[in-house]
Amino acid sequence: MNRPGHAPASRLKDGTGPGSPEAAALDATWSDPPGLLGWLAAVNHKSIARRFIVTTFCFFVAGGLLAVVMRLQLARPGSKLVGPDLYNQLFTMHGSTMMFLFAVPVMQAVAVYLVPLMLGTRSIAFPRLNAFAYWIFLFGGLMLYVVFVLGAGPDAGWFSYVPLAGPDYSPGKREDFWAQMITFTELSALLEAIVVITTVFKLRAPGMTLNRIPLFVWAMLVTAFMVLFAMPSVMLASTMLIMDRLVGSHFFNPAEGGDVVLWQHLFWFFGHPEVYLIFLPGLGFLSAMIPTFARRPIFGYTAMVLSLIATAFLAFGLWVHHMFAVNLPELGKSFFTAASMLIAIPSAVQIFCWLATLWGGKLDFKTPLLFVLGFFFILVLGGMTGIMLASVPLDLQVHDSYFVVAHLHYVLIGGAVFPLFGAFYYWYPKITGRLMSERLGRWNFWLFFIGFNVAFFPMHLLGLKGMPRRVYTYQAGLGWDAMNMVATIGALTIAMSVLLFIVNAARSLRHGAPAGANPWGAGTLEWATESPPPPCNFHAIPVVHGRDPLWEHPRPEAEGAQPAFTHVSGLAADTRELLATTVLDARPDLRLNFPDPTIWPFVSAVAVTALFIGSVFTPWAVVWGSIPIAIALTAWFWPDRAETSVHLSLERKP
Amino acid sequence: MTATAASTARIAALALSSALALCACEREMRRFETPPDNRSSARPETPRTSTLQPAEARSDAVRMPAGNGEGYEGNAYNVAQGKRLYRWYNCGGCHAQGGGGMGPALIDDQWRYGSEPAQIFSTIMQGRPNGMPSFGGHLSEDQVWQLTAYVRSMSGQLRKDVAPGRADSLQANEPEAARDREPPRPGAK
Repeated sequence: MNRPGHAPASRLKDGTGPGSPEAAALDATWSDPPGLLGWLAAVNHKSIARRFIVTTFCFFVAGGLLAVVMRLQLARPGSKLVGPDLYNQLFTMHGSTMMFLFAVPVMQAVAVYLVPLMLGTRSIAFPRLNAFAYWIFLFGGLMLYVVFVLGAGPDAGWFSYVPLAGPDYSPGKREDFWAQMITFTELSALLEAIVVITTVFKLRAPGMTLNRIPLFVWAMLVTAFMVLFAMPSVMLASTMLIMDRLVGSHFFNPAEGGDVVLWQHLFWFFGHPEVYLIFLPGLGFLSAMIPTFARRPIFGYTAMVLSLIATAFLAFGLWVHHMFAVNLPELGKSFFTAASMLIAIPSAVQIFCWLATLWGGKLDFKTPLLFVLGFFFILVLGGMTGIMLASVPLDLQVHDSYFVVAHLHYVLIGGAVFPLFGAFYYWYPKITGRLMSERLGRWNFWLFFIGFNVAFFPMHLLGLKGMPRRVYTYQAGLGWDAMNMVATIGALTIAMSVLLFIVNAARSLRHGAPAGANPWGAGTLEWATESPPPPCNFHAIPVVHGRDPLWEHPRPEAEGAQPAFTHVSGLAADTRELLATTVLDARPDLRLNFPDPTIWPFVSAVAVTALFIGSVFTPWAVVWGSIPIAIALTAWFWPDRAETSVHLSLERKP
Repeated sequence: MTATAASTARIAALALSSALALCACEREMRRFETPPDNRSSARPETPRTSTLQPAEARSDAVRMPAGNGEGYEGNAYNVAQGKRLYRWYNCGGCHAQGGGGMGPALIDDQWRYGSEPAQIFSTIMQGRPNGMPSFGGHLSEDQVWQLTAYVRSMSGQLRKDVAPGRADSLQANEPEAARDREPPRPGAK
């Protein structure tokens, strides 16, 4: 776009600091085109990631509001605030939103922003695919919420067990929309995984060998591989479900030779790794924040990486612990008990490494570190109940009770949301250029921490006292009244805390203290560029000599000054040229030309959405809907004559 | 900055108009309260035309419906409930899964006593000579309308998106949602 016809690439080369004509040319090259069309055509990973983060956070708020309504309904026995139908939709939408539209995508969104910056490169791999993945995710999420507002929200739970979610017991279009939303969001997750893996393997700064990659990037790399193996399982399952519902197939119908337990296996083969898809990026956030606020490099880098990988492997071997109450062979149950307990080992290795880092460090108690310490407390409690649930007899006793609800919220909120909030405070200045208010941050943390424990701790006791999950009301006099009221008060406290966070983020956008390039004195590469980063991320590509590049060189005396870097130069400044490096030791390998912004990923996503929404109503939509998709994809990949001539001229020796 | 503001305004306008357009869409409602008893209100009555009756035989007249059954045929939940009632009240004993046996088939275009919802409602409530029992007073009015909607879905009279997809029990014919519409021929034998 905006490129003069056949002009060969001029010889403007990068490598000089901000203010020079080369830097200005770089900024112009890598920024998104203006206007509404330009907004839809944007491919810069930072623009996409900002939208992605805001979108997932909106879904988080929506899912949280649904939870508040549920808690208000359960505050008193025999409440008539919402009926059973709406309540079923509420808990289904809450679970689906938090798992599919918030927890996994937000981690990928943050990764899309940070991974290229941490790796010292100018763009994420496959920028158009990245944009396409965002649009697909947005449309899938919107579709689910639109049908919910229309009174057709899915109501068979976020796990959609058949036959409850099958055509006989869930008539209408509710579960069809759920199944299609799954396909959308998981397609988006798969594409993002491919984008992240390629970026990590091929686009690292020269010198960033595999054992110098920041731990957050390692966590996202492992997560991306897990996505590649886990998500197809649920996409397959949801496609089988919608075929059962729409064209009368019998995958899950025992009367015709199908199997309902097949759904559970396919779902939990995805669903258990899903927990770690949320947890591992959380660990990555911690590994980024702890060294910064302890002011020393992480303890046991190699052990950390190996335990990330071990966690990923084990995560695929324990899904059956969600199904202990299903009649399965005893030997299988024993195996999956052992596998479930085994996962405590790599998690413990990580926790002890962080503790060792903190132990020897000089702690700086800023808000992000508070969230890190909150994580330790909550996750350890959730881990304890996890060990309990991994044993078959105890699991059978508390199965489908509030004990499980308490456990999963301790693990997921403790393991992912606390680190994530810490990460918001930590990287907010990098994204916006301004710091968030510390005072509001402390209020945010303490309200969240106290509210969380007030809301979810009583649920352990409620579960032990026999309160089942997913009931829309209960009778007075069962001994559940007071604790339910307390839990509701806790939920409202959490809501208030999130509101404070939103206020803080919105206020700091304009009124926060200017951050400078490296407000926390951190060691990784994303802090080596201005805040917010220029469109090209780095005006000169850094060369890395160690694990914490910013701590390798002594900081100059001047306030806010950056240490001097060695860098490489010579990439074209007026076209999207990028340096690819070798996989293992990150030696410069290739000069790549990246595609320009284009509207076609957006149009393709619209076409895909049209196909999927149509397919909820008629199988013929799959046939006719593929035509617009084919047109959009053809336009997307059609070679641009001007672009090609520039690329050819760059390949020639000057 | 102004370009961003203008594009934001345009996006907001687009979102608002699409939200307004969505208000016109139909809601997929489900009701879980107990259906009203059809014996309670004073309404015109018609005699039972069949002496065959399930369970305890009744001699009282059958009350005509309060409404005309609107809202049942456009609602998948009601149709699915009708399908369940069809099984529970052993309609299949005579009509099989719509293919007919002792009773006439329900999946073809022939209707002895009329194919309109009100006519099918009366058939179920009053019964018909030569075998169709009178169910009036044994089911609530609500349930009879649900059955009516399901019976009409069997010959493809309902929208595809509300007709049942398939059953979790054995079913000999293709799902109701996949059937072609049979244009009704009233009075056919």
